[in-house]
This record gives sequence, structure tokens and C-alpha cells, in this order.
Amino acid sequence: MNLDPQTTSIKTPLPVGAVLVVGGGISGMQSALDLANSGFKVYMVEKSPAIGGKMAQLDKTFPTNDCSMCIVSPKLVEVGRHKNIELFTHSELTGLTGEQGNFSATIRSHARFVDIAKCTGCGLCEYTCPVTYRSEFPQQTDDDGKKKYPKSKDKRLITVKELPNPSSLAAWTFSVNQEKCGKCGLCSKACLQNAIIWEKGNTANVDSAKCTGCGACFTACPDKFNAVEISNAPELEKSLGAAIVTRSQELRKAFAKNQPEHCIRCGLCAMMCKEAMGINALKLHEQGIEAGVDICQMCGSCISVCPVDYLAMEKLTNRTAQPLLDEFNERLNRRKPVNIHYPQAVPRVPTIDPDSCVQLNTGNCGICSSICGVGAINYRDEINEQTVEIGSVIYSPGFEVSDPKLRAEFGYGIYQNVVTSIEFERLLSASGPTSGTVTRPGDGSHPKKIAWIQCVGSRDHSCNREYCSSVCCMYATKEAYIAREHDKSIEPTIFYIDMRSFGKNFDEYIERAKENKVRYVRAMVSRLYEDPQTGNLELRYTDETGKRLTEEFDMVVLSVGIQVHESSKQLADLLGIAVDKYGFAVTDTFSPLAASRPGIYVSGAFNGPKDIPETVSEASGAAQVASAAIASARGSRITREQLPTERELQPDEELRIGVFICHCGTNIASVVNVPEVMEYARTLPGVVYVDKPLYTCSQDSQEQMRTIIEENNLNRIVVSACSPTTHEPLFMSTIRAAGLNKYYFDMANIRDQCSWVHPLEPDKATEKAKRLTRMAVANASQTEPLQEMEFPVDTRLLIIGGGVAGMNAALSAANQGCSVFLVEKEATLGGNLNTLRQTTDHRNIQEYLNTLITKVRQDERIKVYTSSMVVEHSGFVGAFQTEIITPTGAQRTLKHGAIILATGGMENRPSLFSLGESKQVVTQAEFERMMADEPEKFSLTRHIVMIQCVGSRDKEQQDYCSRVCCNQAVKNSLSFKKLRPEGRVDILYRDMRTYGLGELSYRKSRELGVNFIRYEPEKNMPILSSTEGGLQVLVNDPSIRSDVFLNPDLLVLSTGIKPRDTDELSSMLRCTRNRHGFFIEAHAKLRPVDLPSEGLFMAGTAHGPKNIPETISQAQAAVSRALTILSRDKLTLSAVVSKVDPKNCAVCLTCVRACPYGVPVINAEHSAEINPALCHGCGICVAECPAKTISLGRYNDKNMFAKIRSERPEPQAVEEDIA
Amino acid sequence: MLPCTGRIEEAIILQAFEGGADGVMVVGCLEGDCHYLSGNIRARARVQRVSDILESIGIGGDRVRMYNLSAGEGAKFAAYANEFSEHIDQLGPSIINQVRNTKAEQVTA
Repeated sequence: MNLDPQTTSIKTPLPVGAVLVVGGGISGMQSALDLANSGFKVYMVEKSPAIGGKMAQLDKTFPTNDCSMCIVSPKLVEVGRHKNIELFTHSELTGLTGEQGNFSATIRSHARFVDIAKCTGCGLCEYTCPVTYRSEFPQQTDDDGKKKYPKSKDKRLITVKELPNPSSLAAWTFSVNQEKCGKCGLCSKACLQNAIIWEKGNTANVDSAKCTGCGACFTACPDKFNAVEISNAPELEKSLGAAIVTRSQELRKAFAKNQPEHCIRCGLCAMMCKEAMGINALKLHEQGIEAGVDICQMCGSCISVCPVDYLAMEKLTNRTAQPLLDEFNERLNRRKPVNIHYPQAVPRVPTIDPDSCVQLNTGNCGICSSICGVGAINYRDEINEQTVEIGSVIYSPGFEVSDPKLRAEFGYGIYQNVVTSIEFERLLSASGPTSGTVTRPGDGSHPKKIAWIQCVGSRDHSCNREYCSSVCCMYATKEAYIAREHDKSIEPTIFYIDMRSFGKNFDEYIERAKENKVRYVRAMVSRLYEDPQTGNLELRYTDETGKRLTEEFDMVVLSVGIQVHESSKQLADLLGIAVDKYGFAVTDTFSPLAASRPGIYVSGAFNGPKDIPETVSEASGAAQVASAAIASARGSRITREQLPTERELQPDEELRIGVFICHCGTNIASVVNVPEVMEYARTLPGVVYVDKPLYTCSQDSQEQMRTIIEENNLNRIVVSACSPTTHEPLFMSTIRAAGLNKYYFDMANIRDQCSWVHPLEPDKATEKAKRLTRMAVANASQTEPLQEMEFPVDTRLLIIGGGVAGMNAALSAANQGCSVFLVEKEATLGGNLNTLRQTTDHRNIQEYLNTLITKVRQDERIKVYTSSMVVEHSGFVGAFQTEIITPTGAQRTLKHGAIILATGGMENRPSLFSLGESKQVVTQAEFERMMADEPEKFSLTRHIVMIQCVGSRDKEQQDYCSRVCCNQAVKNSLSFKKLRPEGRVDILYRDMRTYGLGELSYRKSRELGVNFIRYEPEKNMPILSSTEGGLQVLVNDPSIRSDVFLNPDLLVLSTGIKPRDTDELSSMLRCTRNRHGFFIEAHAKLRPVDLPSEGLFMAGTAHGPKNIPETISQAQAAVSRALTILSRDKLTLSAVVSKVDPKNCAVCLTCVRACPYGVPVINAEHSAEINPALCHGCGICVAECPAKTISLGRYNDKNMFAKIRSERPEPQAVEEDIA
Repeated sequence: MLPCTGRIEEAIILQAFEGGADGVMVVGCLEGDCHYLSGNIRARARVQRVSDILESIGIGGDRVRMYNLSAGEGAKFAAYANEFSEHIDQLGPSIINQVRNTKAEQVTA
């Protein structure tokens, strides 16, 4: 086992500077981006046709309710367009040879049948494909290989009350080629309009006056003659199929408002069946359509081209047809054989499913190929195998949800209104099968009462899933919460065992959900029954008082757990890495991201169930350990981005503004009338080009934007879409790639600030979108090119805090070749680790700590400053300067490029339950030390009582969950049971939050007889009293509904963790902390170790309570993030900085006084000067300068005034707010 | 959108009134929590000055207000926006718009 990646960085002479990332979910993407941004080539292999993984399927994310797709799509695009990331989608890793530093991986790419290089992702193939069912493919050639049509023996007339009424709308013209005509007269027999003039022995002719264009003659004419010809059919030059689909759409539009109840005898179904599908099962009949029910191949093409919905599968065949279901939408809606995985997919290239595509199975159809404008369809595509050379592998295959059918008592798959949580996620999603309307799959009605049943396929011995899936309590809460956001009348109820909201701000989220009328019932549901008439579901459960209850719900959501996919286990086998009995990776507590085979690293849910931020953090950590081993090869395999030279605009060049109004799927378009805004934008001064992409941010739209800019010679760009905070960098880099200065740009936020907030007022919202666009256009016309400054980067790293996080970060960074300053306030290194003895898997912490300290002390790249404090801090990312005071009282200046805050936490010691007064009352850490250091003391101990959440989750004390205490209590109870097997342990708890694989120890402790008694502070708070016999704890045990008196020899309190005092540090570094004193990350989900200020990162308990492996992986993550800066020679700084025009400067010193950072100085030329590297770009000086001689890039007066003036005063216009 | 309310100067707010706004809301970070340390304090002073000017020229000082919010307080922002918008509705069109409206009516008449 590779115990420590830091020591085993191998000495192969030439490691390969490339990494293979297996899995394209959020974990793989984060690893890939960190690696690619720190000088390594990345090959990413993803099984499905597009990257994005499970996160792309989620609607919102907890606990911030951020839209999942909105936050993940910039990552998708960044991965998709990164020069150093090579994507292998629809591919699998099939072999890995070699060893750490020098692997050779075989990647098998499955046939996609669509050329990624050619495809533009327009989706026309999917739109046009007529197949909607899984066809049975009959043999269509005889023994000689000649084509023949199947013969029907069972015919059925499809008819309705009203007889067919032929419509000649958009009809094609039919004629008989006299030379080809075989004079057989079949056309004349087939024609129902008497429009064929034919006499025996003569050629046939079409009487155009009578012909309605049904094409009966065409299908009737034998293949050997092919004498009937079509003209005046749009798209016929592509293929007959394409023409059929085109006419069908034409007719559909014509009948959209007034759909007839009868067949219009357009004949498209019969032509489609014979000419495109090669079946000939349909024939036009006087009374309707005659179907050969036995020969129907059940592809559904006739149904999809019928413009009046006359046909249906059950009319056409007696067999059961299988609709094609969309896997991305959890099989809740249909898909075509050719389909794009999901709208924002990267790459946005469809795949053709070889199992259901008619062309691939019979050689017929081929419509998609004929309609594709770029010739991207390739029916002869084959499996392709390639070998790549790599130095390390990151294995992050993710998870699948557990099979709900394992709990047969909940009737999943039998009761239609029982769905899984991931299906519900799709129902909530605006881009999901119901466009975000919560409906019952059974009847499409709107459910009112919805129940969530927790722990389906988790914490369940009966289905071999004893572990806790860690995320279900939170996602169920989120789904309930969001469901109510969609429909206020929904009454959600969550049935749970323990509420495991153990993460940062999770408890607050639960509280908010409760305020928002989400009902929580602590009960295990025993089973449920469906009312066959209403489809409602009756839940049976026993409540906490032991009462048996039944309750009816309209819909039930099963909170299914996380499990490792069978194929991931097989691949793990192939890779030769150890997995546990559930398939999760086996790793060492002290190197949590290294798999058992050197050179392979794991992250994400495959490394144990976890949520998105933990996954992202692990992914960064995995990137760090994967690159540490091959650090010497950094930069050897990458290609530098080649940007075209920036086009310099002529001073008199006319304005050519391009405006892009985004639909954002339905996010904007369902409220704002996008075409109307687009037409309006066309009228604005300077606008020469307008477009309305479905998703402006998608890769293909961005590629298009680039071409559009070049082709139309645009010189200013406006995007009316979502938030500039998330998407501006993307658009600006596209503009730059098109050769324009990226500041020739402005964005209007017509989603977050318009469609999302005015969903019920579409007209006003459209009006507002117009005005926002107008302002952005006005501003864009005033923009000027700005240049970003480049600065050399100081590659040294400052780490504040010498605990387990700080030391691990220091060693990791040193291994990556960085010099490190490690500053510790205390005299010794080790921090909180000094107080602990055993990890949850009973490993010796002190041994580990000693090796860690020795390694840190011995590494010459690490300078350790103990008993030292940070007293002053200045500079900027890439060039910081920090003053510290050393024990001698001397000040030292440290220069460095990035900072990792690892200030850690400490044990909380509240004055509760006589802690500190009675010797018999100790904390968990004290108990742990007593057992490790003086085990003999326990020889007579017969009874231990533990109380959880003492001072945690307590409004008066620490109003958050300390996350580690439940596992610590279980660990200590197991240790005690080892010392004194006959000893008794009672644990008084509120919710046992032994998340993830910690549940296994919890289970073991119960098996060993540890007794658990649940209490709620407001109901049955334990009462401690001292009696003559010693301590007495009184608590009401809800499981036996009786008071119990416990007389322990020792009372152990789980008092939780509190952060160290970082008051001064946080104001010095300008890092905000939450009200509990933990640092706030840049983004709760996707930037969990980044601080909001550039160049600052954090790890360990400074971020929030966490255990040792979590802390170590976070430390490695923080280094990974820091390396994206420290591994560069140069860093580009923002171009939006204040600049003084010395011409008008009166040297009044106003700016010098106004600047909150003390940046402006008076130079030798008697003018104020602002160092652009130090300027933060707030613009205070610009506003204060009496001479108006300071400018601030894109926020100049002329920009502001242009925006405001564009708001022309129109009569009756009432308007406010510009800020 | 601006980098900081500290960038807002009196002229920008006054331009908005000239441009037809009946009210102007300036929304900055919570006091003591300014991303740029003191920008919102300066903005408060400037908003006050604009308010004084508006009062003295008869438009009404209460048509401009400064609010402080953190980025996580979406609901509160909506409440403030509704409150301010109701407040301006009660005040009716500013004198600038009243004059313009009358002129516009005269022209159409």
C-alpha cells in the first residue's frame, strides 16, 4: 500500500508530465482543471457521451439552493475548451500497464457515429429523426441478398368515425416517368382519387387536377420500375425522408390551432414506412389506413410524421412496443436513437444508439445523414483504441444510485407514483422532462402531499448496504424545499431515522426548511400500499411514541443511496486497486487519496459517499498528489494557448455591435419574449448583428460567437443572459479568441435580475430585458480596450498554522518544488493533533504526528517559524509580503506568492454538566487520552455514559454541528469495550451522525452492546446530579418510554470543536468569517478551499469541523489550488485599475486620503500615481477626485452616463434604481 | 453594476434623475463589511449630499436612499426593492417627469 505519497515520490528518471483522469463528473473535472492549470497534460476518459456526471442531472444544490447546472456549466465549458485537456467521451479505460511515473493506458472509444470534429451540435438530426420506439428489425433481404418487403398476413383497418378528408396543403407534385413505366397499373389501383389515367398495356399518367398528393401511386409503383416521380417537395434533394419530415412539420403548423379528428390523407405515414423504413406495412384506404399489424417493425416513424396524431402504436400492432427512454432524464421521457446527452452537454455532439437506429440495423432510413449540413454523421464509425502515455492516474468514476427495488415493500416499479430522488430531481429541473413542473408520473396531476422515505439502500443490513450515503438527508430536504418553491400548495414530509445534517451551514438549512413548512417525522416506514383508483399511496409507520399510523400521500420519493457501479468495481480490479466489500476504494487514513497501487489516486464518491464540496476538495487534493509524483515533468507535455493578435480598432472605425440574447434553455425564454428583445436590440444604435442562442454559454454557441465576430467584423459585443459574475470571463475569453480586446464587451443580466424575479409578469419582464439590453449596448459603445498587466510570480508559499493541515500542506508544496514558510503561533507543531491519540480506524495518531513533524523539520524547502505571529500583510496575488514576529521579538518579512490558512480549531469546553468541576466528568478527547496513556485506570470501570452535542447545536453555545463527535464517541466506546468487554456504555445522543462508512463502526458498537438513548433538548434533556454514590444521570428513554437513572463511573461529554481566534488575522488578510468564526469559502460548492481574495486558500478546521483524513485531503487540495498560481512564471492582473492622468492632477492629495489601501503616491513629476498591481479597483478615488483626472477601466463616467442616458425619458415612464 | 458603491459619485445619481428616474436606490455592502473596506461609508455620505441637493431644488430628498445588504440576502433585497418602489409610487412622478409629461401632453394635444 502506498502509505504516503509524499515520501514515495519515485525516482524514475523521466516521469511523464501527463495524468489520466477516469470519470468526467465534477470530481474528474476539478482534478483535470487543477492539473491542466498547473502545467500538466490531462487525458479525461468518460463513459457516457458527455462530461458532467451526476451534478449535471441535479436541479439545485444544498445548502445554498444554487442552480446546479448554472454553476457546473462554466466548468464544463472550461474543461471542454482547455488546450491541455483531451477528452475521450463515450470511452472506457481498458488497460493500464507500467508503473508510477510511466504508465501506458489503453482507451477504447465506442462508435458514436457522429464526427465530433465536424458536428456543430445544432441538434437537427435529433429533431428530424422519426424513430421513437425500439424497433424490431425484420430481415429485409431474401437469400440472394435482394431487397424484399415483408408480407403481411394480418391486416387491420385503422379508422375513426369521420372518414379521411384529403388535404392538398403543401402537397408535392407526382408524375409518371413514361420511359420507366412498366404499364402494370398498380398505381391506378392504389389511387383513391381516380387521379391516375391508365389503360391496360399503356403507360400511366397523373391527372393533376384530381391528384391530392397522397403518394399512394408512389408507394404502389414497384421498385423495379420506380416510375412515379416527385417534384415540388422541399428538402427532397436531401432525401425522401427529409422531405416527408419537412412536409409533416409544415402541416403540423397549419393544423396547430385546429387539429382535425380525421385522417387528412397526406400519405406521409405510408411513404415513410415503405420508402424510408423499407417495411410497407401501411396502405391508404377509403376509410382510413390499412396496417399490416404483423409486419410493423414498431419504430414509430409513421406516428411521428402524422401531422394530425391519427396513428398510435396500439392501433398499429398487437405486440408491446418499447418507447426509447432518455437515460439523462432518468427514463422519465422519450429520446430518439440519435440524441444529444443533455442540452448543455460537452461535447455537444449527439451519439447514435446502435441498438435502436434503423439505419444501423437495416440500412434503411438514413435521414439524419441526409439532413446534416456538415456531413458529421458516419454510419460506419467503429470502436477506436488508442494508447496514451501518462505519469499518474486519478480514478474518480463516481457513483450510481442504489436500486430502489431492493426494498420491494415500497413498490417502486409497480406503483407509478413512487419515484426515486434522482427522478424527482429531474422533475424539479427546468430543463427536465416536465420543464420543472412537479407532476405525478402516474397521471400527470399535481401532487399535494409528497413523502420522502430516507435510507433506501443505505444503513440497511438486509440489502448489504450498511453504510450511510451521507447526502440523502440534505438532498431530501432540498428537494422538499424546492418543491414548495415550485408549488406553494405542496406539503412535503420527510420520514427519517437520524437527521444527518453534519456539514457547514447544514443545520441552518434544515431549520429554514422547517420554517418553510417541510415536515420531518422520525420514523421508519414499514411499507406502503397503492390505492389503485386514485394512485395515492398509504404509508404505514410507527411514530416515536410507538403508535402505529397510516397516512396517505399523493406521491412518494425514495431517497436512494449512493453505491459504486459494478463496472467501476471491475475497472478497479483491472487497475489493480483495492476496494472494500461495497466497492469503495481502500485508502490509508493518513494518505486518504492514494489508492493501493502506487501512481493511482482516487477521489469523489468512489472514495466513500460524499457531497459536492467534499468531492471538489478531494478532486483538487487528488490532482495535487497525482502531480507531486511527477512534479519534475511539469510543463513537459502541455501546449501554450496561442491567441490571435489583438485587432487594433481605427479611431474612426464605425460601431459594429453584436448582441446575443440568451434563452438559457427555458430559464429566460419561458418568461421573457426573447425574439421580441432580439428585434428590439436590432434597432439600437450601432447594433449590426443580433442572435438568440439557446444557451449562449454552451461550447458550440461560443464557437459560433467567435465565427460570427470574425465574419461580421464586429467590434463590440453585448450578451444579455445570466450573471456576469459567473459567465463574463467565459464570454470575454471568446471575444479575445476572436481577436478583439476582451473589454469591448458588456453583459445584461436578464435571467437572475429579470426572468427569475418576474416569472408572473412576462410582458413587464420583456420590457425590462429590453431596457437592460439597451443599457448594456449603450455602455458597450463607450468601451475602450484595456490591457492586463503581467507580473512575475513568487513561487514561495506561506502557510499559517502548523497543525495537521498546515504540515501536510507544507510537505505537499515542498514536494511540488515550492519553498514554504510555515508559521505557527504555538511553540510546538501539531496543533490539535497533540491532544488526540487514535483515528476512527484506531491508528496511532502520535506516531503519525512524530513522523510528520520530523519530515517537516528535515525538509530543507520548509522554513518553520514556531511561536511566531503574523502582524502585517500587504501585496497581491503572486507577490505578497507578510511581516511576522518571531519569539526573539524580531520582525521578519516573508515574500511569497500565495497563502494557505490552516489556523485550525480546538476543543470546546463549555461549563455544562459540571465539566471542569467534577473529576468524573471529562471530554471525549480527555477520555481518549486516558484510555491510551493510562489504560490501567479503567480496570475497575464498569459504566461510562456519554452525552453528545454538549455545547454544540445549541443556540446559547455553539450553534452548529461539530461533525466529528458522533464518530469520536463511537470510536471511544469501541476502545473502551476493548479494554473492558463487560463494561457498559450508554450514549445519549440527538442524531447519530456517523455519516459515510462511519456507520459501520456505529453498527459494530451497537452489536457490542453499546446502548444508545435519544434525547431532545426541549423534551428530555439529560439531568446530571451528584449523589453519595457518585454521578447520576436521569434521562427519559423514548424507546421504552420510561425514565432511566444511570450511575456512571465516568461521564464523557462530546463538546465539539471551535475555531481558533482569528480576529486579527482575518481583518489583516481581509477574509470574512461566518458567525461561528469559520472562514467563508469563495463558493460553498465549487470553490470549497479558495478564499474570496485571490491567492488565498484554506484547509482543515479553519474552514469548518472535520476529521483527520478530511483535513489531510483538504490540505492537499489547498496546495493544488495554490499551485495553479505558484506553478506559473507570470500572472496576469486585472486591467480594471485606477489610472491618473497627470495632465490635470492638482496634487490635492484627495486620492491619497481616500484610498482605503494607501496606494496612491505623489511621484517625482508632481502628480499622483497609482501602482496598478496594488490597486484593488474599487473606484473610490475616481469618485473623489475633484479634477476628474482618475479613470477606472470599464467603470468610467462616460460608461455610467451612457447607461443612464440610454434610459431616455419616455412619457409616463416610471423608473427607479440604477445601482 | 459597479465594483463598489464607493465609485458612485453625486453626478451619476443626479444624471439618473435628469434621465427620468423618480427614485434611485443605492445598494452597498453591509457597513463594516465593505469588500473594499470603506467604500460604502463614502457612498453613504455622497447619497446624503445628493439627498440634500434634491431637497433644496424641490425634487425631494427622500427620492434617493442607500441600502446595505450582504450578497446572501436575496429575499431582503427584494423586500427593500418593493419597499422603495412603493415609497416612490406614493410620491408619484418627480417634478422633472411631471413637467415633461405635461409638455408631452401639450405636444400631443
